[in-house]
Amino acid sequence: MNRGNRILIGCTYWAFVLYVFVPLLLMILMGFKDSKFIGFPIRSWTLDWYTGVFSDGEVLSTLGYSLVIAVLSTLISVAVGTWIAVLLEGRKFLGRTAIFGLTILPALIPGIISAIAFRIYARWLGVEPGMGAIIWSHAVHNVPFVALVVMARLSTLPKSQIEAARDLGADPIIAFLRITLPYLVPAILGASIFCLLLSFDDFVRSFFLGGYEPTLPVLIFAKLRSGMSPEINAIATVALVLTAGLGIWAERFTRRMKKETNT
Amino acid sequence: MRNDATASANRVAVARGKADRTFWGRLASWTPYRSLVRLATASPRRQFLILAAFPLLWVLTQHLGPMLQMLRVSLTDAYPVAVGVEQHFTLDNYTRFFGERIFWQPFFRTLTFAGVLTFCTLILTYPVAYFLARHVSRKNQMLMLLLLLIPFWVGEIVRTYAIMILLGNTGAVNQALKWLGWIDEPIPFMYTSFSMGIGIVYLTALYMLLPLYSALEKLPKSYHEAAADLGAGAWTRFRRVTLPLTLEGISSGCTLVFLISTGFYATPVLLGGPSTTVFSETIAGFFHTAGDEWPTGAAFATIMFLTAMVLTGVFQKLMQSLRKGDTK
Amino acid sequence: MTKLILNRRRFLSTAAVTGAALASPAYLRRSYAAGGEVNIWTYNDFVPTAFKEQFESETGIKVNVRLVDDQGKQFNLLAAEAPNPTVDIMTVAGHRFLQFIDNKLLAPLDTDRLSNWGNINPTFSESDWSTINGNKWGAPILSGMEVLAYNTDLVDAEEAKSWDVLFSEKYKQKTAYIIQDMMSIIMLKLGYDGNMVAYMDDPEKAAAIVEEAKQFLIEKKPYVRKYYDGGAEIQQMFVNQDIALGHSWNGPAAALINDGFPLAMTIPREGSYGFVYTYNIANNAPNADNAYTFLDAILASPEIGASMTKASGFISTYKGATEYLSDLEKKSTSFTDEELSNLQFFRAEANEMKYGLLDPAVEAIKAA
Repeated sequence: MNRGNRILIGCTYWAFVLYVFVPLLLMILMGFKDSKFIGFPIRSWTLDWYTGVFSDGEVLSTLGYSLVIAVLSTLISVAVGTWIAVLLEGRKFLGRTAIFGLTILPALIPGIISAIAFRIYARWLGVEPGMGAIIWSHAVHNVPFVALVVMARLSTLPKSQIEAARDLGADPIIAFLRITLPYLVPAILGASIFCLLLSFDDFVRSFFLGGYEPTLPVLIFAKLRSGMSPEINAIATVALVLTAGLGIWAERFTRRMKKETNT
Repeated sequence: MRNDATASANRVAVARGKADRTFWGRLASWTPYRSLVRLATASPRRQFLILAAFPLLWVLTQHLGPMLQMLRVSLTDAYPVAVGVEQHFTLDNYTRFFGERIFWQPFFRTLTFAGVLTFCTLILTYPVAYFLARHVSRKNQMLMLLLLLIPFWVGEIVRTYAIMILLGNTGAVNQALKWLGWIDEPIPFMYTSFSMGIGIVYLTALYMLLPLYSALEKLPKSYHEAAADLGAGAWTRFRRVTLPLTLEGISSGCTLVFLISTGFYATPVLLGGPSTTVFSETIAGFFHTAGDEWPTGAAFATIMFLTAMVLTGVFQKLMQSLRKGDTK
Repeated sequence: MTKLILNRRRFLSTAAVTGAALASPAYLRRSYAAGGEVNIWTYNDFVPTAFKEQFESETGIKVNVRLVDDQGKQFNLLAAEAPNPTVDIMTVAGHRFLQFIDNKLLAPLDTDRLSNWGNINPTFSESDWSTINGNKWGAPILSGMEVLAYNTDLVDAEEAKSWDVLFSEKYKQKTAYIIQDMMSIIMLKLGYDGNMVAYMDDPEKAAAIVEEAKQFLIEKKPYVRKYYDGGAEIQQMFVNQDIALGHSWNGPAAALINDGFPLAMTIPREGSYGFVYTYNIANNAPNADNAYTFLDAILASPEIGASMTKASGFISTYKGATEYLSDLEKKSTSFTDEELSNLQFFRAEANEMKYGLLDPAVEAIKAA
């Protein structure tokens, strides 16, 4: 590939970065506006919205609540999705296509419909709305993403490794836990990011299945009713920074844990 | 990849069992565990059944359950049932769609929009994925991919309002153009198909980017070099080598984006104009404003869902034959 | 900015018991709830924080607020929970009573149990829309109306005296409205009863009127920039100067005025409609006694009414609430007598027929 083309393609990447980041930067900027509404022109600046977020226990506890829901639902999705992937990948059996189709179904139903369908279903099952119900609906919705990503990775696992382990006397469960699972880690991590994102940003399911504790998007929607104020931008920015920090910390932490167990 | 292999080989050596003093060794020689494993793996058939039981139960109760529930609602004349009202089976909710033309326009508009936007997303993100997978060192790839994921941590609504601040009459773009002296009057970007497209591509890019990236990343560099050795130009190489080999990624990305963009609600409602009503807005109307029309909403949702499924099925068949044709 | 302080212990215990709650039968949770709680569904800022804290400390009744963001979703949620709701009090817009009553979701309000009922301005508590089937169904707290809002830098006050300005050549593509609400206004403007109560015995006439209003809005579609749904949208359109004027609820418009934005609002001479937010008690409410205690307490002082107005921009229904408002707040929540004489309230009696005709018309306008 010649130089000109390479530069052109590099430019498209940075143009894309610009496209996704400019609205983000505008959002952060508006959090400092001294007015009840976002938009130009900005006549004076303030830190009040940010101090407000930190002095208002509700925002932070809502953020925590959303994160707990995201993490728990992700754990369930990952476990179930991986299991389904292991069943489907590289096996031929009657009804495989049907099970595959059913697996990806929840990803394809529009949000509002799936939320109401879940509400109806939850009522039929006698499940009370609340944290458990939200986690449940998020977990189900995210399973397809995990299954698809894990299946892709699983298809590249060299079969010889499993066979070697079996030859050495490892039973299928130990072979899975010690060979297959470590091999799947990158895919599982990638899928987890997806699940966390989807759960964290979900409004409709959280609204219809939630109780008196709002999740972050539910709180933002409620606040939006009295106007798109810089307060909402400040909340979103704080949530962004805190979750990013948490993510980096978790990554460092697992890396250190790994190092310790390896030595 | 190679590191993985050696690490696994080490693990294989350790996975031997009895002689081992590790946790795994002790587990493998623990009698109750062994008899349990023996029971579970007595025959391949039993092993398969145990493996399949849970996923089957899960997809039937969790994935199919809510869908069937919705289907059932779409075939009734009243839901939720008020106290003392009898519920009847009916097909009216479906015939209503085919009987009233006003519903057809948002329906076909949604399909067209979704198709066009899927194509735009593909055109926009393909070079980005290509750059990431082929021109960036492996160490930096993850970092630069994660960089692109950051904005997705901000909820859909907040990002959508940020786009209004960007494109409004006093928005950032118009301010910049005025400052440059290119325009006197602001350009009305907002509440058009354009602003709606900008907003939706913002949401769908991720779903396209990831499959494209993983398809491009798998592509061996040697193919390219071989083609270059044979004297193929950049464009020919792309068309004859890269594109056919990434068709699978393109197909899965497009399918995902198409299906997802038929279901978008908040962004088109907030960024669209008077003539860009999408079908999910129509459906939501039955659930929101007109409280007692859940069955109609459910029926319309089913129609949209089935149509989208059929279309993507046809699309995938097309892509499949394209792939086969290319390898011949 | 109202702050709802969440009880940390409750948050933690929720996290801990969720697993069990999934499995535990409904009656167990209900009996726990009856220990001293009141569950409320309402909009952000409709229960002032200071009041809530004082109420909780004085009565020992814990107030759980579930934030909702629109009437339709609230109805859906309640319908999905019927006949055994988890909620005691919800916030219904008065003209939507009938839908809730017909589905047996509301309990009639026993005003004798509210010693502070008299603190409500009789314009709201005793008006014709508030009594249905011989019963009162809710306690009015805030009042809203459909107004014409305009950017005073761009639009002259004289021009804004009629709804016609929304469809004028001068402001082509600089206007916005909510179609559903606009349909009622157009019917009124064309000289008909936008509540359609007058045509309850003449469905053909009703259909013809809706058709006429529909054709009018389709013909004027090239003049509108945006059909919007919520207050935040029109506020943003004004701030971004995407529009110069539009139909709005007074609450969102008042909030812009209070923030210093060059905006004014008026009730045009063709008239307009008002609506009232009421606190209602759910049929089969799990803590009905606590709900009455709460309602009586929140009606106790005009200061509480004023703080609701400050937060929402809607007009308080309490006698004497204006005394607690600043001058700007007073200005943004008051209208001249001439304007008010053009105002009538939305009524619910003909809603089934009205919305049966209106909803398809709205679809047709959007599709046109």
